[in-house]
Amino acid sequence: MITLTINDQEVKARKGWTLLEAARHHGVDIPTLCYHEAVAPSGACRLCMVELKDGDWSKLVASCIYPVADGLNVYTETPKVQNVRRWVLEMLLAACPGSEEIATLARRYGVTTTRFATKSANEACMVCGLCVRVCEEVVGLSAIATVDRGVHKRVGAPYLKPTDVCVACGSCVTICPTGAMAKIFDTVRGEPQTKLTQLQA
Amino acid sequence: MAANAKIGVFLCQCGSKIDPLVDLQALQGALQTDVDHCEILPYTCLQPGLESIMHAVAAHRLNRLIIAGCESRLMLKKFEKELAPLDLLKGQIDMINVRGHIAAVSEQTPEQNAAKAAKLIKAAVAEMHVMSPTAQIRAKIDGPVVIVGNGLAGYAAAQALADKEVDCLLCTDTLDADAVLRKVSDHYPGEGEQHPRLRRIVTAVAQSPRVTLMPPSELVHLAGVTGDYTLTFQDAQTGDSRQYRAGALLAALDAELVPPGPQFGYDGDSVLYQPELERRIRHSGTPKGKVVFWVNDHEIGMGEFDQLSVRAAWSMARHIRETSNLKTETIILYNEKMPVSLSSAQRAVNRKLKIAWVPYDQAVRPMVQDRCITFCGLKDHVEHEIDWDLLVLSPLRRVGGQALQTAKTLGLIHKPDRFLTGHHAKVRPEMVGREATYLAGSARYPCDLQETLNQGRRAGVKNAAMVAKAGSGELFVPRTVCWVDPELCIGCGQCQELCDCGGISVDAGAGGGLPRVVDPMVCTGGGTCAAACPYRALILQNFTNDQREARLAALANQLEHDDVVVFGCAWGGLPAADNAGTQGLKYDPRIHMIGIPCIGQLDPCVMARAFLEGAPGLLLLGCLPEECHHSYGVDHAWNRVSLIKKLLTLSGFNRRRIALAHADLNKPEEFIRTVESFSQTISSLGPIDRTAANRAKLAAMYDLAKNNTRIRALLSAVLRRPWENAYTGDQRHALEYDRDFSDALVEEFLQARLLGVLKAEKRPLGLTELSQALHEEERRVIEALMEMVREGLIASRHENRRPYFACVN
Repeated sequence: MITLTINDQEVKARKGWTLLEAARHHGVDIPTLCYHEAVAPSGACRLCMVELKDGDWSKLVASCIYPVADGLNVYTETPKVQNVRRWVLEMLLAACPGSEEIATLARRYGVTTTRFATKSANEACMVCGLCVRVCEEVVGLSAIATVDRGVHKRVGAPYLKPTDVCVACGSCVTICPTGAMAKIFDTVRGEPQTKLTQLQA
Repeated sequence: MAANAKIGVFLCQCGSKIDPLVDLQALQGALQTDVDHCEILPYTCLQPGLESIMHAVAAHRLNRLIIAGCESRLMLKKFEKELAPLDLLKGQIDMINVRGHIAAVSEQTPEQNAAKAAKLIKAAVAEMHVMSPTAQIRAKIDGPVVIVGNGLAGYAAAQALADKEVDCLLCTDTLDADAVLRKVSDHYPGEGEQHPRLRRIVTAVAQSPRVTLMPPSELVHLAGVTGDYTLTFQDAQTGDSRQYRAGALLAALDAELVPPGPQFGYDGDSVLYQPELERRIRHSGTPKGKVVFWVNDHEIGMGEFDQLSVRAAWSMARHIRETSNLKTETIILYNEKMPVSLSSAQRAVNRKLKIAWVPYDQAVRPMVQDRCITFCGLKDHVEHEIDWDLLVLSPLRRVGGQALQTAKTLGLIHKPDRFLTGHHAKVRPEMVGREATYLAGSARYPCDLQETLNQGRRAGVKNAAMVAKAGSGELFVPRTVCWVDPELCIGCGQCQELCDCGGISVDAGAGGGLPRVVDPMVCTGGGTCAAACPYRALILQNFTNDQREARLAALANQLEHDDVVVFGCAWGGLPAADNAGTQGLKYDPRIHMIGIPCIGQLDPCVMARAFLEGAPGLLLLGCLPEECHHSYGVDHAWNRVSLIKKLLTLSGFNRRRIALAHADLNKPEEFIRTVESFSQTISSLGPIDRTAANRAKLAAMYDLAKNNTRIRALLSAVLRRPWENAYTGDQRHALEYDRDFSDALVEEFLQARLLGVLKAEKRPLGLTELSQALHEEERRVIEALMEMVREGLIASRHENRRPYFACVN
């Protein structure tokens, strides 16, 4: 048994848990975007940052990949943590202005505008890689991957063309935290051969 | 029956995504009496939650788990993996998507949501009680990998297998590299650059002790299943047949290249096709004069493969220019639609060698004349002429002769297509036991030599991996596959005709009436074959009809008068519902989702059972038509739904109580419109009155759908075959069939109802009594009764010159 404190409250955990798992188990909510229980954590979005305090020293870590250890003092809502989250959300707001989910989350932290240059207004993908990971780890296929690097990085099938490898199971659409995969999905599986006529509302 | 099922239910709070929206305490209370253990966890899927589950399983000796949380499509694998130490096999863990199908989409109170969740969970519990998991079977592979088909990919495959120390039997006529290279151009003209590689491969294969040569002869019969095949070959000349045992199979098939039709002026002398030119160059050296390559693939109707012909033409033109010291003139005439895909290095060579490329206007078809060809110029739209001494055409590509025969024997023909696509079920890889890729070569789709050798190598490597996995005991037979009960199978072969996986074959021998056998390593678990079996001899293991029925019955029993059951297929309806949940779209709470791998596996008796148990309406929500991930699931379900509709009409109920629909997983709004439209229909119809007469009719419906082999056989006989278009002459007249089918149904339904009455009364009944009980005319009833007596279903005797009827037993 490992003993640590989360927000000054003493909690028990076991070896192998992450800070996020320990916190959620004890009812402490930490926001996440790139984290999903179905796949291994990657620590990409930095939204789940928490503060570890040790005397006068403190450091910020990504709770989804940080393992619990005896005697940790974890704080999930300090000004420092909230500041980082606001920064992350502000950048995400610029990167994916097309995502309703991101905008909602940002509003929760009081972020409504961004000072960064926005990408195209419809962009919703934050390139967290959840879709790529679920395709590889859960479905077992790797039909999609991230293409290009740096600011040009995006999600797609090889050559951004529909691929036969994709079985159109839709796991990537379901797991996507920003709703971006719904748009990318048709470019991966190919437009369904049977054209669905729009049903009358 | 699994009498020893000990069921644990774990309710996930999912942080705050389920708990305040669904009253989990009430839910736990509602389930307490039905299960052996019920527990609420903050997050079932996180490490702490998983540890609690493991603990509970050990403490209460649970052997069936139901996790009420979120999407099973995403999460089930994690639970199976993390809980693997508990020795729970696939199928023993089930998930109910309380978050996505209830909490996120409902505007009802937490108590109402909990009540709905309880219904769905109790249904799953009922299924778990019936489920008896089959044992985990390790696949064995006995014998060598046999490479049939005499294609060039076979050499690459043999090399890959030999590299991995796997024995293989290569069916080919020679292992002499020179002899092989002499024949290459028959199938792959203009591939000089690849010849050294092919030579290396053939030499390596010839030296390998792992490879045994088998002289080519025609493959005439294949029996057995993956791991234990028996192949019968017949020598074309002598008629001798030999048998080989094989652990695995690999087909290397090359497409046949033949001259294009007479409209292109082919004469085999001055107008040649590409393989012929290469043969001529080899025999009599570089031709003199002016050689014109007309890349006429678009005119042949094979425009999609133009690049193969263009590259072959360029490679031959280059050879001619180089060997003739630039004396022989070469021109490549090509359709403007065709991109010229030369690399910059090749363009430099082209400039040096002065090979002319002449595009022509696609609107006007070039005309071959004696010693010249006329075409419409691209820049000026004026007719131009090019003289030639030798005109070289593109070949016509097709699967021919022996390759076709071999493919047929191996069951590789799935679609009426020019080429062999092999089976490409769009399912998760874990659902198919065997390596999918075991067909290599240009018969699969036209390709160049490099691609063919790569395909062969890949197929070899994958097969070697499969053999190695089987050797180390790590190759398992997928658990959701069909199995034929040899006691019940009469060998009608319906299933084999329907199966798109190619997984059903005759156990041994040839001819009719032989029991079928399923290759579990090929079966994808689609299950439409099982639902189609007239004798219910085909069983989808771990997802049996009994399980479905138990679940549906338990759910239908609890439903309100305007609730509907929706079966969502795992590729359409279910993910669409999941996605509606992740997006938080609200819809009618009267909709109760049940996930199912494919709509095609719903047996008509399961549908009838829903009404018998009190469901007011049943909607089957499949994936997109023509996009079925197994094979024609929606189409097959269509026929079965129409049977139930007819039966509903016969019983005097509204036929709109059952419906088939489809959903695109990426369009949750349309999913909502579909299910809400159906639930409105049902609420406008009202409930089915639970009178004794109605119940008797519903019971007769169920009995007929389940046990009447005549109706079941009639139904499956017209299901759409994978190769339906290939045999159009075999089609039935739609209207005639429907009338005949309805007539048969009227007869059989009356008989089923009579049988129901006789069974219930348990005493001999007279004609008048029977006809009054059913409100039917005496004339019709006596006809049905006489028929039943003739069939031996009931017995008759006369008293006071009046007939009385009773059940036989």
